[in-house]
Amino acid sequence: MKTTVQEIDGKLVATLCGELDTAAAPEAEVALRPLLQAQGKDIVIDCTDLEYIASSGLRLLLSVLKQAQSVGSRVTLKNVNEVVRDVLDLTGFVSIFNFE
Amino acid sequence: MITLQSVKTRQVDSSKKSWLTRLGIMVIAAILVESLSIIQSRRIHAIMEEEMDVRSQMVLRSMQERIGHMLDMTESTMRENLRDIKLSLHNPDSIFRAMEYLIDDNPDIVGGCICFAPYYFPEKGRLYEPYAYKDDEETIYLSQIAGEDHDYTQNPFYRKVVESGMADWSDPYLFGPDSVRSLTTYSYPVKDGSGRIVAVCGLDVDLSWMGETLNAHQHFPSSFGLVLTADGRQVAGPPPSRASAAVVERVMAQMQEDEELSSASEWVVRKVRMARDPYWQIAQVYKTDEVFAGMRRMRLQQLLFILLGLAILFFMIDRFARSEKKLRKASEQQARISGELEAARTIQKEMLPKAFPADIYGFLEPAREVGGDLFDFYRRDGKLFFCIGDVSGKGVPSAMLMSVIHSLFRMVSPHIESPSVILQRLNEQLCQGNDSNMFVTFFLGTIDYYTGHFRYANAGHDKPFLLTENVSLLPAKSNLPLGVFPNTVFEEQTLQLSPGNALFLYTDGLTEAKVEGGQAFGRSRVQASLQEALSRGMDARQTVLSMFDAAHDFLGDAAQRDDLTMLLVQYAPKDLVQDHIDLKNRAEELPRLSDFLKGVCASLALEKKLGQSLRLATEEAVVNAIKYAYPEGSEGIVSVYADSDRREIRFTIVDAGNPFDPTAAVPPDTRLDVQDRPIGGLGILLTRKIMDSVSYARKEGKNVLTLTKNIV
Repeated sequence: MKTTVQEIDGKLVATLCGELDTAAAPEAEVALRPLLQAQGKDIVIDCTDLEYIASSGLRLLLSVLKQAQSVGSRVTLKNVNEVVRDVLDLTGFVSIFNFE
Repeated sequence: MITLQSVKTRQVDSSKKSWLTRLGIMVIAAILVESLSIIQSRRIHAIMEEEMDVRSQMVLRSMQERIGHMLDMTESTMRENLRDIKLSLHNPDSIFRAMEYLIDDNPDIVGGCICFAPYYFPEKGRLYEPYAYKDDEETIYLSQIAGEDHDYTQNPFYRKVVESGMADWSDPYLFGPDSVRSLTTYSYPVKDGSGRIVAVCGLDVDLSWMGETLNAHQHFPSSFGLVLTADGRQVAGPPPSRASAAVVERVMAQMQEDEELSSASEWVVRKVRMARDPYWQIAQVYKTDEVFAGMRRMRLQQLLFILLGLAILFFMIDRFARSEKKLRKASEQQARISGELEAARTIQKEMLPKAFPADIYGFLEPAREVGGDLFDFYRRDGKLFFCIGDVSGKGVPSAMLMSVIHSLFRMVSPHIESPSVILQRLNEQLCQGNDSNMFVTFFLGTIDYYTGHFRYANAGHDKPFLLTENVSLLPAKSNLPLGVFPNTVFEEQTLQLSPGNALFLYTDGLTEAKVEGGQAFGRSRVQASLQEALSRGMDARQTVLSMFDAAHDFLGDAAQRDDLTMLLVQYAPKDLVQDHIDLKNRAEELPRLSDFLKGVCASLALEKKLGQSLRLATEEAVVNAIKYAYPEGSEGIVSVYADSDRREIRFTIVDAGNPFDPTAAVPPDTRLDVQDRPIGGLGILLTRKIMDSVSYARKEGKNVLTLTKNIV
């Protein structure tokens, strides 16, 4: 699991690569900390290479979203594959995230 | 309401109408029969009248003859004695002698007189009438009766004869003012040589006998005979004992108006008129009532019989119509009931499993339209649940209870592992309000598909047969049937099955099938048939059908008397994939789990997407166990078992930690807003959404969470 956060064109872009399972979640949580200081900047989470997500990964996404919304940032999930999309669907996350 | 009312009214109308129709028919029938009877009675009346005519004619003719004879005799006596009288004309006193001879000779003649023309015998004065008469004792008295107080020249008969010069019969008269004797006088002119009438000779004829003779043999109590003058006055009549003078008078008065009297009046008269002087009429008078009384009585009886017959007929028609209506109603009801039963039969059939895998086959044949037997099976958590039951009795009541018990089984069993506990729940439910005291024998078993572990509990049902290398009865405790006592404990038993072993369940409709008065099919025949099937390597379906054939051959043409149900369950796991892993209660162990799950999915060659979701579901469940099963800081093991027959996959997660049922947690509401949504609870939610079934059990001090999913 590899997680990076960059600032591109005034947006914070997080790239998730590999499997975001329970084992990988703590590490990913640390890597995504910069997103918690978004300060109104929009956030894009690039899921192009995200192969798998577990509930701990979903929790991570949810806490990012909650924090972002409290400071007026928009969170967009980018290039979500079918497997991950299904999981988001099952948990009702589809309705709370923006997709692109 | 209005519709109902109008239907009712219409029904009443139609029943009233049919009643009126029937009444109409009866009235027409009555009129027809009565008309026939009237025509018949007219004929009888005519016949009787004819009969009366003949009878009267006989009487009247004979009377006429007798009277004629009497008159003839009197007239000839007169003529014969006239010579003697003429000889006596010169001697007035000798005339007495001649008169005496005259009346002595003839029984009908009771007196005779000769009334001489005035001063014929100057010495005798103006009037002279020698007279002879005899009394009842035939003593003859002679006297001269003429005098100034008895001037015969004033008598009409004398004058008539003198004036006409012809003989004459007088009208009848009484002998004396107090006499009952009725007489008539034959007056004859006595002429001298020059043809001058010198005297009138009269012979008094007694008429009393006529009335007596005519009335001596009357046919009817009130009938009587009469002799009448030409102008209808009485000459002779019945004695008062037969008909009173008043009656006679009344009849005669009626005859004055109507010659013969019609049969409609009170009296009927038949009469003949004599063809000679004095042209008397002889009449027979009948009382109409008497003549036709017999016929009237007969008519009345006939009418009464006819009315009675019609009443009976009416009653019978009514009864027939009613019973026919009842019959029609009953057959309509029958049709409706059989239609409903057919629907019930379909519903009942629908409730039974219809699709059978190769290793299971069930068969149910109700003795009537619907039955009280049931069987069922389904798979859950890698286990096969199967049951058979037999409700006491047959037909609709047991079918209703059968539906209840079947539904209860479907509702209760998915949440309980133990056959014994399931039976207890069913029993509790069934005992509630079981006022009709019906009961159900029931056998329930579960077979762990992957281990061959067979658990079963029996509620008074016939012991199933166990098919291994040979056929034997399953050692099942009987226990009480369901629905008897609410607190019954159904002892649970277990048995380890080997692949290929089978269980044959049946209801007593099989073992107790028998020909009337003959032997029952019995367990030994069942066992023999199973042995045969086993030796020939039959599958589940073939085995059950061969048993059915064997039972039917045994029964021949005899009707099946009880519901017949069979269920064969074979434990035949093929091509199993089984693996397991023990994990420490640490998150670091999770990659090992991932590898294990990937391996299982790979060995089953599952699609990537399916594999990933199975992995997600199982990991989430295991993460839960690792996190919550053991107290913080203590070490423990979480074992994961994977079993699959390539149709279904089952993951069993076992830990020895504190009792923890993740299925009891309330799943988070996925419709909530971002800020309101809780962070936790997502794991078990995913597990439940992905898997077909998730069930928790606490067994032998361990938490056992079973996840299953169909993978075909």
